[in-house]
Amino acid sequence: MQRDRRELLLKIMALDFTALELNLYLDTHPRDARALEDYNRVTQELFALRQEYQERYGPLIHFGHGYSKYPWQWIEEPWPWEMTF
Amino acid sequence: MAENRKMRLARAYVPFQQYTRRFAPFDGLMRGTIFPELYLPYRPKEMMGRGEE
Amino acid sequence: MWLYEKKLQYPVRVSGPNPWLAKNIITQYGGPDGELSASLRYLTQRYTMPIPEAKGALTDIGTEELAHMEIVAALVYNLIKDATLEQLKAHGMDGYYADHDRALYFVDATGNPWTATYIQSKGDPIADLHENMAAEEKARATYEWLINLSDDPLVTDALRFLRMREIVHFQRFGETLRLVQEWMDRKKFF
Repeated sequence: MQRDRRELLLKIMALDFTALELNLYLDTHPRDARALEDYNRVTQELFALRQEYQERYGPLIHFGHGYSKYPWQWIEEPWPWEMTF
Repeated sequence: MAENRKMRLARAYVPFQQYTRRFAPFDGLMRGTIFPELYLPYRPKEMMGRGEE
Repeated sequence: MWLYEKKLQYPVRVSGPNPWLAKNIITQYGGPDGELSASLRYLTQRYTMPIPEAKGALTDIGTEELAHMEIVAALVYNLIKDATLEQLKAHGMDGYYADHDRALYFVDATGNPWTATYIQSKGDPIADLHENMAAEEKARATYEWLINLSDDPLVTDALRFLRMREIVHFQRFGETLRLVQEWMDRKKFF
């Protein structure tokens, strides 16, 4: 995989993980306003990064969550278990 | 949120985490948690003397 | 429903073919304390959780466990995909090869197939959450034994990530248990 693509994907993975961790924390602390504010900020940042990745390399999420160029990019390799970082 | 003081018999209690600060996204991913107070890495060398490793 | 995101939760690398390590790590794919067990346990218990926080925590942790199952699968797949028949035979994977070639299958480290008897769904939220806390500790211990066994530092790196997640999940189930206890106490007053 090209270096630019790998770097962008790693950035998304890192931010995605922060969102997941804040999400689990909020599940048991639904009234923690600061964690919630952080979650929403990270989500916004993540949305922009995903958009950038999808425009360049095709959909990250299927079923109507990302556009595809012609031909159908979703099935393009490598799949996650085929990527070497 | 629950108070950690009011405890009863025959019950298990885990203290509630308070959100203080977090590791930067990539650092958090590499550590396996974004929360410094929950970051408890495994140190196999500590097993020495217990008959392990 | 569920969505698939075309990336791993954590970047996975291996140093080279290592069927011996794969044979041990596969227990976190289809063994008693593995990621399939964890995911299915939480995702099936969530229906009878009494409070929204518990429904959320079980849904989200159960979903994260699916991503961990994928990480373990990616490790095993990459450790055996280029292994020669001789390497498979030398490291005790000939029996696995006879049944599955180099495909992924849900077994533990000694070849026992996954079974639903690894998990329980009791309908009692206190009992179920205690099972989940124990499950996280058993998975943490398994990752520690696997780290002790591992001779590939790249694989050890991913195992350390997965072990850390068990600790965070234990904390969340512990908080969920407290919230359910409080809910039950409040119920008694009315």
